[in-house]
Amino acid sequence: MKTFIRKRAVASGLSLIGLIVLVFFLSRLTGDPTSLYLPVDASLESREQFREIHGLNDPILVQFFHYARDVLSLDFGDSIRKARPALQVVLEAFSWTLTLAAVTMLLVTVAAIIFGALAASRVGGVFDRIATFFSLIGASAPDFWIAIVAIVFFSVYLGWVPTSGTGTVWHWILPVAVLFIRPFGLILQVVRGSMISSLSSAYVKTARAKGVGPRPIIFVHALRNAMLPVITVIGDQAAGMLNGAVVVETIFGFPGVGKLMIDSILQRDFAVVLASIMVTAMAIFIMNLLIDLSYAVLDPRIRY
Amino acid sequence: MTETTPDVPSAAGQSRFRRLAAMLWADKFALVAMIFLIVVLLCAILGPMLLDNLATRQNLRGRNAPPFDLTRGWAFVLGADALGRPLLARIIVAARNTIMVAAGAVACSLLIGAALGLVAGYSRRGLSQAIMRLADVIMSFPSLLMAVIVLYMLSASVTNLIIVLAITRIPIYLRTTRAEVLELRERMFVQAALVMGASARRIVFRHILPMVLPTLLTIATLDFAFVMLAESSLSFLGIGIQPPEITWGLMVSQGRPYLTHAWWLSFWPGLAIILTTLSLNLLSNWMRVALDPAQRWRLEMGKKND
Amino acid sequence: MTMRNLTACLLGTAFAVTAFAPAYAADTDIIIVLNEELESIDPCMASKSNIGRVILQNISETMTELSPTEGLKPRLADSWEDMGDGTWRFHLHPGVTFSDGTTLDAGDVKHSMERVVSTKISCEIGAKYFGGIKVTPTVVDDLTIDLKADPPQPILPLLMSTLTIVPAETPEEFVQNPIGTGPYVLTEWKAGQSIVLDRRDDYWGAEPEVTKATYLFRTDDAVRAAMVKTGEADISPVISELDATDPATDFSYPNSETTYLRIDQGVAPLDDVRVRKALNMAIDRDAFLGTLIPSDAIKATALVPPSTIGWNPDLTPTAYDPEGAKALLAEAKADGVPVDAEITLIGRTGNFPNVTEVMEALQQMLGDVGFNTKLEMYETGEWVDLYSQPFAEDRGPQLIEAMHDNAKGDPVFTMYFKYACDGLQSGMCDEKAEDLIARATAATGDERAALWKELFAYLHDDVVADVLLFHMVGFSRVSERLDFKPTINTNSELQLSQIKFK
Repeated sequence: MKTFIRKRAVASGLSLIGLIVLVFFLSRLTGDPTSLYLPVDASLESREQFREIHGLNDPILVQFFHYARDVLSLDFGDSIRKARPALQVVLEAFSWTLTLAAVTMLLVTVAAIIFGALAASRVGGVFDRIATFFSLIGASAPDFWIAIVAIVFFSVYLGWVPTSGTGTVWHWILPVAVLFIRPFGLILQVVRGSMISSLSSAYVKTARAKGVGPRPIIFVHALRNAMLPVITVIGDQAAGMLNGAVVVETIFGFPGVGKLMIDSILQRDFAVVLASIMVTAMAIFIMNLLIDLSYAVLDPRIRY
Repeated sequence: MTETTPDVPSAAGQSRFRRLAAMLWADKFALVAMIFLIVVLLCAILGPMLLDNLATRQNLRGRNAPPFDLTRGWAFVLGADALGRPLLARIIVAARNTIMVAAGAVACSLLIGAALGLVAGYSRRGLSQAIMRLADVIMSFPSLLMAVIVLYMLSASVTNLIIVLAITRIPIYLRTTRAEVLELRERMFVQAALVMGASARRIVFRHILPMVLPTLLTIATLDFAFVMLAESSLSFLGIGIQPPEITWGLMVSQGRPYLTHAWWLSFWPGLAIILTTLSLNLLSNWMRVALDPAQRWRLEMGKKND
Repeated sequence: MTMRNLTACLLGTAFAVTAFAPAYAADTDIIIVLNEELESIDPCMASKSNIGRVILQNISETMTELSPTEGLKPRLADSWEDMGDGTWRFHLHPGVTFSDGTTLDAGDVKHSMERVVSTKISCEIGAKYFGGIKVTPTVVDDLTIDLKADPPQPILPLLMSTLTIVPAETPEEFVQNPIGTGPYVLTEWKAGQSIVLDRRDDYWGAEPEVTKATYLFRTDDAVRAAMVKTGEADISPVISELDATDPATDFSYPNSETTYLRIDQGVAPLDDVRVRKALNMAIDRDAFLGTLIPSDAIKATALVPPSTIGWNPDLTPTAYDPEGAKALLAEAKADGVPVDAEITLIGRTGNFPNVTEVMEALQQMLGDVGFNTKLEMYETGEWVDLYSQPFAEDRGPQLIEAMHDNAKGDPVFTMYFKYACDGLQSGMCDEKAEDLIARATAATGDERAALWKELFAYLHDDVVADVLLFHMVGFSRVSERLDFKPTINTNSELQLSQIKFK
């Protein structure tokens, strides 16, 4: 196990370096930030001056060399847009994203597994039909619909929760609820599908033949067998959230990493783009490692 | 819940097609889903030919006309958009681009992802490691950045749009396939086939793939909705479908500012996306049962089990 | 029972009221919700809308101030005079202190001027208002300063309404704690979440009523409007026209922006004046008003709003005349002008509400009289490259949609860039226009106004330089407990001292 983790760390480190190099050069292909920062009327001299200040006149390899040198001394550059260290900007945003993703995914996982397993236990039954129907609608409806309608109804009309912001626990209810819906629908469907195969497998039939009751069969034997694809999909959804929940961040004024990344890409704020990819990529790599380890825990036959 | 699998009724005298049709008839939800999808496909094929003029003719004075008003003709039964164009006609015409992009992107990512996942799951060490780290990299690469890069390097086109969307969705199929293969590989029947000297190819395609496919299809049907909606956010950047061309996703996002004032602008195209996804999912659930010999009884026994 | 009453009633009974109502807020504290987070809070960036709305005249003040009703008036400078030869002398108000306790003197003004044009930082104010001008400050005594501009600037006092004054100790890098002479001081900045300004006790001028202002940031239009409705905020300077439905709280104001299609006269068929006239005649401007464009918007005859000096009231917007346009095109075609060439119609996504729909409608109107256009929408980065010189060699005929902002009351901030041969966004080069721009820029008083007026008429009626569309309006939502009406300045500043309570 230890060798596995060590090897994995090395491989992931290499991927991270590859990713950063790739992003560094590819992002420079998307144009020069100068005209985006300066007013459209800015003179050619002020443009030239801007490029000089931000080192945009150097050949790209020189720029890369400077960047690599700075990163090695843990300096990730300054955000042009915010005139602050890029890493600081990203970490502030990422702490919000991480909390939001963790809270939401925890709720989603528990709810989707329970409802998915119950739906699978009686395929075609009333509960199955209802759960499938609503989870599919939730998973395929545009998320801003749900967000705006929720604000209009729960905040403006009923006045139960604030429209947006981050101040108190009450502020978190709507964003988490909106963010909950899509992964819930998707994971519920995967749990259900995986459980159906699992319940008809020889393994579960054996347990049943041994006289194990229906509940332990569903929640222990079958579920454990069905968990591998489920965990993978949970990981994929969590990764999506770690990259930022743009709609929720935009609508509810959550200062997360998703909107930061989009703004930085559109504004060609390369230092922030690179720093945020580095942070989110590390989080995603670690999460994927944990998922791979959990395969081995859930299914002892899988060894690395 | 039946404890034992009843005998599968004899298939003698029934053609395979008729048997499938009977099973479809047995599941009314799947039947409706099938009919809906055929209608969508017909719209996609014929819509642009028949209704293009009607769908693009603007009328600023009749903008945001409310739905369920037949005085202006059948095309306006769902109301009119911000430029006074009939929503129903536009949804029908938009079906072609929408289906092309969504089907293209989902199919590409499913095929590539599943193939890589099979390889990564079945082969050991080096190659597997390389593929999985590649998936990590793609997962961490912001799709928007990829879109902006493609936009700058290549021209905006449906093909490029499909490429961008497909690449970003590969990891989920890849990782899911691999996870299933890791487990299936250790199962009894695969080990048995191995002992009996089956080739790797035979094991992967005959034994493992059919077991992985249902999960992949479940994800793929839901990804349809995701891709349809994601596509519209890329249109915003100028990549892919551009007005006056139209997709459901673009219609949904163009209706966004009107959500609280003229809900129908984004509601109907959104409903089209939901219904398509719902139908695909119901149909894939039905297929999973119909194609699985161990579960086919659920359909062939009809209502007796409910 | 109205929605508001219902909400208030429910709020009164629901547990939620204690959960999120601001604790112990004084009646004179207000909350302002802006549409974007502030990128920076440095005073030398205050010409950006949202930075200006927080900083301008609240934290940092300027020497002069442009009021929509009174024109240019003194702020930190009590008076100023033209010394000739491009030099202006400003007399500072005595006894003004910065929020760090130091007293304002001419040295601070000198440093502020040098800082915005410094080569060490790229200040937006320097790039926007002082590009191509060399201003040399000379301290005469503590309260007197000479500013010599080269080339001479007849409007230097107006330019000084843009320059935020910072203490002489301010470093030439972006600061996170702006120090100014204004009535408020920055007390808290939580990046991405909120900014808090508190009223100063030692402000040199009249004490404003607002004691504390908290700024929040929400990108979504509907959410900002909802926040004022639920009482979570008091002012939203920008809301969508669609949400502006309550006359008690929602106000429209001219936002000094003008939309137009820039015609690239360098490429046929757009080099033919008949074709440009036909473009203008093909557009049914009235059909837009009250539909895709707010009904309070004004059909434009110049690229600057009517409150600008030299704006020409005699010009009339080109009337919608599709038959006339067709006739002109036929005439041009008979003379061998390639009127059938495909013209690229370029738009900028998200430039103003409904921009895509407006572009689609324009495309159809142009198509109806026989133009062959192709619509392309671009994100800002690529759009800026297409809009500004140098243009690509093989670009083909182009019409570019743009929105231009001039709230400064003088056309000089517009005309050179948009119409001179070397103007960065100019699609034309005309000898007479060139001469008029040069003369008007150097002129003062009535002569200046007359020259600008002549230039507007020449561009609109003779050259037909572009397809002018609308002077736009913005919408604000203001809580009923406040006495405040937005003005043309609301696009660039939001003076807390002008906000009163009912």
